[in-house]
Amino acid sequence: MRGMAAPTTDVLALLDATFDAVVIMDDRGRISAFNRSAEEMFGYRAADAVGRNVSMLMTSTDRASHDDYVRRYLAGGEARILGRGRDVRVRHHDGSEFEVFLSVGRIPNTEPPQFVGFLHDTSLRRKALATLEHERQVNRLYLDLAQVMLVATNRAGVVQLVNQRALRVLKVSDAQIIDCNWVDSCVPPDDRGIARNAFRALLMSGSDEPQSCEYHVRSSDGEDRFITWRGVALRDANNVTGMMLSGEDITDQRRAENEAHRALERMNNVSRLATMGEMAAGISHELNQPLAAIANYAQACARLLRVPAPDMPEISGALEQISTQALRAGEIIRRIRSLMRNEDVRREAQDINELIREVHTLLASDARVHDGRLELDLSPALPHVTVDGVQIQQVLMNLVHNAFEAQGSEAVRAEVNGTTFEVRIATRPTDAGDVEVSVSDLGPGLAGEVEQRIFEPFFTTKPAGTGLGLAISRSIIKAHDARLGYRANQPRGACFYFVLPAHMESPR
Amino acid sequence: MKDLPQIVFVVDDDDAVRDSLRLLLKSAGIPCEVFASAQEFLSGYDAAQPGCLVLDVRMPGMSGLEMQHELNLRGATIPVIFITGHGDIPMAVEAMQHGAFDFLQKPFRDQELLDRVQRALVRDTENRARLRHTDRIRERLATLSPREREVLDLVTQGKANKMVAGDLGVSQRTVEIHRAHVMQKMEAGSLAELVRMMMAVAPRQ
Repeated sequence: MRGMAAPTTDVLALLDATFDAVVIMDDRGRISAFNRSAEEMFGYRAADAVGRNVSMLMTSTDRASHDDYVRRYLAGGEARILGRGRDVRVRHHDGSEFEVFLSVGRIPNTEPPQFVGFLHDTSLRRKALATLEHERQVNRLYLDLAQVMLVATNRAGVVQLVNQRALRVLKVSDAQIIDCNWVDSCVPPDDRGIARNAFRALLMSGSDEPQSCEYHVRSSDGEDRFITWRGVALRDANNVTGMMLSGEDITDQRRAENEAHRALERMNNVSRLATMGEMAAGISHELNQPLAAIANYAQACARLLRVPAPDMPEISGALEQISTQALRAGEIIRRIRSLMRNEDVRREAQDINELIREVHTLLASDARVHDGRLELDLSPALPHVTVDGVQIQQVLMNLVHNAFEAQGSEAVRAEVNGTTFEVRIATRPTDAGDVEVSVSDLGPGLAGEVEQRIFEPFFTTKPAGTGLGLAISRSIIKAHDARLGYRANQPRGACFYFVLPAHMESPR
Repeated sequence: MKDLPQIVFVVDDDDAVRDSLRLLLKSAGIPCEVFASAQEFLSGYDAAQPGCLVLDVRMPGMSGLEMQHELNLRGATIPVIFITGHGDIPMAVEAMQHGAFDFLQKPFRDQELLDRVQRALVRDTENRARLRHTDRIRERLATLSPREREVLDLVTQGKANKMVAGDLGVSQRTVEIHRAHVMQKMEAGSLAELVRMMMAVAPRQ
């Protein structure tokens, strides 16, 4: 047996540490070293492999030609594999075959020559590559399945990636948008400032927190869509490399909101006008009273002054009455004006009792028409509330009007049997320190089915009702962060109430 | 029988309107009394008191229209002037249909009110005079015997004594005696006057 230089312990340790399988053989293909990775790769133990021919690791095709390769190399130096490496199929101990990348080198200064083979498991690499590819596809799928627009750009704002949804909204193909500047090519001029600022803020902040903004994008056919965006900075180690935007198309939603808002405003105006119409008779009566009194007093004064010794105390009293009544008329007109006012009124800290007293002046005529009485039961120690006074008064007028109507029918009159028809506006502090306002009556109250539906728009129990009064009242109260509720009144009748939050800095 | 002095009654729930009406009537030298509600007026109302009523059509409790109805039930003849607002024309129409004397829309010129009040007072005087006249006729009618009343009815139908005698189955002479008693008891100077008296007390159609 020719001397075979067995690898030193150092070399063996080194070989065992490499991931690739390492096999050392002599010129006749006899294995002299077989590292740990080789054991794992081929299923042989090193002790079993050493001394055997390397052909046991080969497929039958290679086995036949291997000895020829070695012979030819040794004879003429024709290297088929040395120093180059190639993919070969190899055979596992259990008979299965698999692909490896094999590179072979001659160990210098060995005679007879020894060769070392490095075998790299390419099937693993392929698997990894396939996995990677699969993951890419899945990611792509995620992107494209997303109901939001997804856009990634580099630091310069150049588009690197877009999903299908974004392409659909923008009505472009991948190729038309990749490598284009996002803001310049997709955002309409008016919104570019917003978009650039949002982009800059995102890059500057370097925060992982998503940032929100809203701006339009313009599709290739010129249609603008309104998008609400969330952006995050993309980073590589410590550097921000770009940004990822996810955008939701809220054009339709926003349009629907605007429509709903406009519809509600229209309803508000209609109801305001309807309320005015219903109350016009009462209000004109209310205004006629002071006017008639003024006319009478003035004419009486003129007559009283015609006699030789005029009754001065009587005349002076009448003149005082004239000014009082003129102011009374002016106050009524002021109330009507503020009711008809259409523009938005600022919310201010207000004394709810004062608002109720003001409304009481106007509602007195309503009470008169219905042969009823409007009672006030106002708690003196109340915090201010932050409200739109006119709107709250409108709600109160609506509730009081309803209450009188509920009590006004003949059937109810017979039932209540002659007692006065009374509607009561009450205020009281709640345990939480807020202010409850209630309007109660002694009418029939609400039947169960009516109670369920009473706040629905267009639901009405009145023959000529619009069914909007309570619905609008509820939306007004809701806009004040409160709720318009119903409960049965004791001992009888209906009670509508709402709780207004106390104004924050208000002294009690 | 001497009439009591006439008084204008004002019923209005609005303090200012009521007081200004009082002053206006006072300035024109017309005695008046004011009331804040229909109930207040009705509780002290004496039908014998001549005058007229100025009434707000729209009041809490008993409205002006309801008060008019109540007065009609009591057989009161006091003329009523309604005071209405702009929106109350249907109420004013209803009031006129139920015999209101007139109505006025607020606000009004003093002369409009005073003219109407004056006319209403004249009407009240006439009403009361007519009432006194018919009352007297009824009193006289009550003194007639049944036979005299039969003769009266037939005579005022235009029948001659001879025909009345035939109808009643008595002599013409007997009819003449009854007829003389009727003329005397009724204080009628002629047949024509007797007919007018009977027409004054005849139930209205």
